[in-house]
Amino acid sequence: MAFPLPRGITPPEISFLAEMEMVSILPRQRLEGLELLGGPIEPLLPPRRATLPLWLALLLKRQRRANILPPSWLHPESLSLILDIETQHGDSKGAFSPPPPLPNQPSAQEHYQKRPVAIPHYTPDGNRYFPSSPFLPQNVAVDQGPVGEAPRLPFHWLEVGTMLLEAASDDLVDPDQTRRLLKELREVRSSKMRSGVDVLDSAAVGGNVVSLTGVGAMEIGEGRGFISGVVDGLRRIGASKEQARREQMAGEMGSGGYGATQDDDDDDDMEF
Amino acid sequence: MSYYDVDSILTDSEKLPCTFELEVPGLGVLEGNPGENIKAGTQLDLPLWLGEMLSIGARLGTSRLVTLDIPSALSERVLNALKADPRTIDLRSLAPHFYSLSERVLELFEEEEMVDVLLNTFAKRAAEIADHAHNPKGAMGQGVDFLRGLDEMERQLFRVAHEGAKEVRVWAGEAKKRP
Repeated sequence: MAFPLPRGITPPEISFLAEMEMVSILPRQRLEGLELLGGPIEPLLPPRRATLPLWLALLLKRQRRANILPPSWLHPESLSLILDIETQHGDSKGAFSPPPPLPNQPSAQEHYQKRPVAIPHYTPDGNRYFPSSPFLPQNVAVDQGPVGEAPRLPFHWLEVGTMLLEAASDDLVDPDQTRRLLKELREVRSSKMRSGVDVLDSAAVGGNVVSLTGVGAMEIGEGRGFISGVVDGLRRIGASKEQARREQMAGEMGSGGYGATQDDDDDDDMEF
Repeated sequence: MSYYDVDSILTDSEKLPCTFELEVPGLGVLEGNPGENIKAGTQLDLPLWLGEMLSIGARLGTSRLVTLDIPSALSERVLNALKADPRTIDLRSLAPHFYSLSERVLELFEEEEMVDVLLNTFAKRAAEIADHAHNPKGAMGQGVDFLRGLDEMERQLFRVAHEGAKEVRVWAGEAKKRP
């Protein structure tokens, strides 16, 4: 209670993290390469596209030194497609639209290799690894996305979308429509989060898993307090049942062959 | 559950019906006649912490001082009402710390069915709380009766759900930050 901030990270902190996402820009001025802590920035040569962290792209955009190329998912067409996926799967209630495939997932491998920037990285020791969000090029503009693949919302969709709408709305295709679609998506998904409480019930007691696949960073941040509160409450109420279940399991183990001898040993020890 | 947790201290003072099995000299103060003895078979509502301590003999196998009963907030009648519709019950009027109390009671009694009813109640009401927390209709809204009947744990839940939604709205510039 003494600490004024709630547990978890606050929305401004989440959007700060989202500023590490890489986006594509079209520079209007030359800029020499920068050696930053997060990695070197390639030199900017006006007709060539470059990939920069979002914070730097926004800075250049505000100084009118660059135009931001919006990522392919932040297009009204893609967004309304995703919205259709979200609203129409009535049978699988509570399921979110799938997240972008990770580069090291075998099923996504073939799709991903068509993308220009999915490069495996190497640690200083020479081990190969694939970066995870926010170091995935999920927000980079692609000329032609993989054919036949539905658009996917990246992990930081809400933050990146909102920041681009705020700072670079003139670079987006139909910003008003985009803004409306983003808002609708957010409402649809947040009501799904709330109706997922029923799933939480069986998950907390039965030892099942809550699927939060496809949920964005900001949505997790928003629901963190509530979800953990519900799960904790269910755990506390069900504690005696859980206790009984464990004792029963222990009893069953004890009546088995190996467990029984163990118990005998314990009893012998007790007598001494 | 810290030592200084106000809610757990307040839960400790919830009343639990107890029946004395033995005559106890000098404990009449509990009944309101100081200096007298308390008779065997007297029924009294004792605070949870006291009832728990007095009934401890029952667990050790020696003659017990009191037998405990399930408090009225968790009686059969309430459980049936909760089974019928969890959302219409005013838990706060039953016990301000309804869930904490039932947690403690369930440690003392083995009631499989009560656990299931309470889990169902909590989950159903949590969904309703989330809806109210995301779409506040003000103090005069239609959900005001439901919100008034929340117990302390549910109020806490309402608060965090509301804060979470509000923080995001403030970040998105849709709501003003409080001064």
